Amino acid sequence: MSYILGRIGQAVIVLAIAFTAAFVLLQALPGDALLIKFESPESGLSPDQIALLRDSLGANIPIWQQFFDTLGGFLVGDFGYSVQSGTPVSVIIASALPNTLVLATSAFVVAIVLAVALAVLAQLSWLPWLRTMLRSLPSLFISVPVFWLGIVLIQVFSFRLGWLPVINPGPIEGLIMPVAALALPIAAPMAQVLIRSIDDVLTQPFIAVVRSKGASEWWILSRNVARNAVLPALTIAGLLLGELISGAVITETVFGRAGIGRATEQAVTNQDAPVLQAIVVISAAIFVLVNLLVDLLYPLLDPRLKTIATVNA
Amino acid sequence: MSISDSVTGRPGRTLVIAASLAAVLVLTACSSGGQSAATGSGERTDGGTLVYLEPDAFTSLYPPAAGFYPNGGVVNNITDRLVYQDTETLEFEPWIATDWVVNDDATQFTFNLRGDVTFSDGSALNASVVAANFDLFGQGDPDRSLAISEAVNNYDHSEVVDDDTVIFHFSASSPGFLQATSTITSGLISADTLTKDLDGFGAGSATEIIGSGPFVVTDEQLGAQLTITARDDYDWAPASFAHQGRPSIDAVQFIVTPENSVRVGSLISGQGDVARKVEAQDEAQVTGAGYTLAAAQTNGVNNSLNLRFREPALQDIRVRQAIIAAVDRNTIVQALFSDNYPVATSILSQSALGYVDTTEYFEYDPEKAAALLDDAGFAEGTDGIRSKDGLRLSITASEAGPQPRSFDVLTLVAQQLAEVGIELKILRADAGNFAAAVLDGSQVQVFQSMVGRADFDVIKSQFFSTNRNVTLNLNKTDASIGDQKLDEILQAVASEPNAEARIINTQAAQIYLAQQAYVVPLFEEPQVYGIAPYVHDLSYEAVARPGFSQVWLDK
Repeated sequence: MSYILGRIGQAVIVLAIAFTAAFVLLQALPGDALLIKFESPESGLSPDQIALLRDSLGANIPIWQQFFDTLGGFLVGDFGYSVQSGTPVSVIIASALPNTLVLATSAFVVAIVLAVALAVLAQLSWLPWLRTMLRSLPSLFISVPVFWLGIVLIQVFSFRLGWLPVINPGPIEGLIMPVAALALPIAAPMAQVLIRSIDDVLTQPFIAVVRSKGASEWWILSRNVARNAVLPALTIAGLLLGELISGAVITETVFGRAGIGRATEQAVTNQDAPVLQAIVVISAAIFVLVNLLVDLLYPLLDPRLKTIATVNA
Repeated sequence: MSISDSVTGRPGRTLVIAASLAAVLVLTACSSGGQSAATGSGERTDGGTLVYLEPDAFTSLYPPAAGFYPNGGVVNNITDRLVYQDTETLEFEPWIATDWVVNDDATQFTFNLRGDVTFSDGSALNASVVAANFDLFGQGDPDRSLAISEAVNNYDHSEVVDDDTVIFHFSASSPGFLQATSTITSGLISADTLTKDLDGFGAGSATEIIGSGPFVVTDEQLGAQLTITARDDYDWAPASFAHQGRPSIDAVQFIVTPENSVRVGSLISGQGDVARKVEAQDEAQVTGAGYTLAAAQTNGVNNSLNLRFREPALQDIRVRQAIIAAVDRNTIVQALFSDNYPVATSILSQSALGYVDTTEYFEYDPEKAAALLDDAGFAEGTDGIRSKDGLRLSITASEAGPQPRSFDVLTLVAQQLAEVGIELKILRADAGNFAAAVLDGSQVQVFQSMVGRADFDVIKSQFFSTNRNVTLNLNKTDASIGDQKLDEILQAVASEPNAEARIINTQAAQIYLAQQAYVVPLFEEPQVYGIAPYVHDLSYEAVARPGFSQVWLDK
């Protein structure tokens, strides 16, 4: 129990650091959203008018006070307003987050299925050339940029074949291509790690014992290897979350889907600090949460880790 | 008003015809079942939803912020204006105002209003709400973070005479105000809407923005799409509009499609009906598929390089003249753009009010450029870059993100300038760095920009010290002005009440900018739309924002 409490404490510290770092970095950047919005020659405002607007938007409040105002707001769920559009950040996040969660979760599930299927097929294939081909697929897909993959999928399946619309797709239709574009590059490193760790486990002496008792390859894979090989894959799955978030930025832009990725892209373009601050903290929270879950899953999968955890606690 | 007037894209025309013929043949062949192919009757039909593909999400529906195209595309269709400016002749016609009187020194504007106009929430559009609109647009409200409208200058106060008469008073002569009442930045909104603050106008609350226009915002998916629906009781379009009353189409769906290739591909694969911002390099793909291109002119300041003449490297007029002579504008336009982007002949567009041809100042002549630099005492160093007393002719231009192919343009300019011994560096930066750098003459000496606006005031807006100040004539740190005469000439454009005299003053300003070699006008920047063949009568306001009140679909 105290192990879990300790981990939660760590998570809170990580979040506090993420919040502060994001705040400091956004302040340290040259220029700010108000400069971009009002002071560019495009706005056509006179220096006096700009000064009035800066003042009314709180740009002249001391930084330390802005920090505590923002922090206080975050603690009670008030993220402030987008400087670019004036929209409350909570509204932006609330409308974007569900879309991205659906996209990212689906992509993640598809990626796991693909990775497992590939790893298993790579072991069970009796044809040597097929094994080699399957084993080289992950390295190919690791190097495929999400952006390019998205465009190619759209060109082929939407524009040439007309199977899937990009404009006004149905809820499921609209997910197929973005999920594919996002899942493939994530499935690849997972499959790579999985294939590698299956190979490692297969060389263990106990496998030779099982095999000598007459177990089939499938029996060995599903009963003996799977549980041992899944740990490294689980670790990398937790880390790939970052990949998933950055992939969503590109996927959502290419497919024109509303979501956190699109919101991030627009906020970065306009240096919209309140929006970026909220996105950084929320992403950090999700990252921390997922990695916490992964850590808590370890002992369930591997009893040896349970002892270590208990001993440490 | 109709799109056919402004359709260009000449090289593609034969292709278009060929492709449409092919399409007809294919359709006829497919319709062997007896039913004739729906290639259109050519007569106006009602109904249908138009899918409009837009590169950027709108940010705010506060009318003075409607200069940003994604905002303007919406505001133009949900609001009416006091007067209508014909996009071809740039003349004014009655709209919500039936007639108007301007006093001799243009400090007082009296408008008589139609009495039968209502906002979409049912409230009346009367003199007091019109007065309240301009009180906000003319003065802004810093407490609500609402900026003043760039188009309204010297606003003092309004006076409601009776229900359908309103007078606007100005502290100084403001002849540009009549035009200002016709622009989308002066879209009339309801009394309730006027009480909103910046958040209230922002993305996410579009359905609460109430205008009196032919369409009403009915649905918004933040950052992704927006739907405007025809208003059944709309009946006050400007008299010159061919189609009166309720719009023919039922709705327009604005769909944000940021990626260029996806936007153009979606259009020509039949998933959208109109796409804004078809890049020059994609034009052939659109016309090749049998779609129409419309290059709507923006009628203002051309896409130009503004030379910051107070910076050490550019203080000598001979250096600036040499830069102009060294830039081969024809080659740039031919290499990077299409016929929809005519080479500029003045700082103002040919269709702008008060335009005068100043091509003679902008001739390409690299030998003259070299001679001017020799004359100015700049000699070539070992690296091929000229310098004089330790001052190297190395200048920096900022890549202008919103302008088409800005980086490619600047790259070609840099190559051409290198030929005569001038180094041009190109600053590529994120928005924050960019915004800070372009305000700083020591970082950016060449600033690329344009302004779309169909009024005499546009030239003043661009160059005046306390407006856009693109040449940094005003140094904001010490509040000094480099060229007082430039400011005086520009002020004369904006404050002259007599229309004839305004033309003369505008011409004088163009000639002065050319003579002083403050600008290198590059090309006339249009808004290029890709349009499906069955979409008819898409219109554009004076600065090329789309209007859907006349549109009908023939499919």
